[in-house]
Amino acid sequence: MASNYNPLTSHVLDTAIGRPAVGVSITLSKYEGNGWREISKMLTNADGRVGNLISSEEFTPSRFKLAFDTLAYYESRGEKTFYPYIDVVFEIERPEEHYHVPILLSAFGYSTYRGS
Amino acid sequence: MASNPLTSHVLDTATGKPAVGIPVTLSKFENDVWRQISRKWAFQDTANRLRWTGWKSDIIEEFTPSKYKLTFETLAYYEGRGEKTFYPYIDVIFEIERSEEHYHVPILLSAYGYSTYRGS
Repeated sequence: MASNYNPLTSHVLDTAIGRPAVGVSITLSKYEGNGWREISKMLTNADGRVGNLISSEEFTPSRFKLAFDTLAYYESRGEKTFYPYIDVVFEIERPEEHYHVPILLSAFGYSTYRGS
Repeated sequence: MASNPLTSHVLDTATGKPAVGIPVTLSKFENDVWRQISRKWAFQDTANRLRWTGWKSDIIEEFTPSKYKLTFETLAYYEGRGEKTFYPYIDVIFEIERSEEHYHVPILLSAYGYSTYRGS
């Protein structure tokens, strides 16, 4: 059976400085039954990226949430932010595809999109 | 406290029009839990802008410095248009420090991406 290795990745780019946001804590949770179950928690690397969030076995059609600890990132830079954390809730229908769920981040605004 | 401290707006960037009819819930973080303050439906006023009625009166008593969350129920909007979306709903969690200011917390929305910013 073909395996979709590393099916979900993320990336945080700090658009105020034009650089990756390094060391941002990202928590992946999966919605099961009637609650969220935490799957993994990782820090963005020097390129602002995380991979290995979930195995292909666990990556089944479901609702997932990525939580980005933006407050800690800005506090470590001595800056304020409007967003203590950012949740992105998304629905996976085709787990054989690769999903990239990044954040373009600044202290008073952010965006996210489904990438591949 | 500002008389209309919090407003929002949802613009569907795929159509270039306001996304009318999305329920939006405002919650406040108190004692380690989220408490729902108000749930409204966006409508389009005579100037073709998106507004929430009664938003002012619902939140004016509650709008103290705190952590707040706006939850936009986008799934029903796309289902009503016969379209799919990546996001069943959108949460925006923000911290109010100065309740005398006005805060505008809008969403620029499309089915596979969105953005938000602190406006005034």
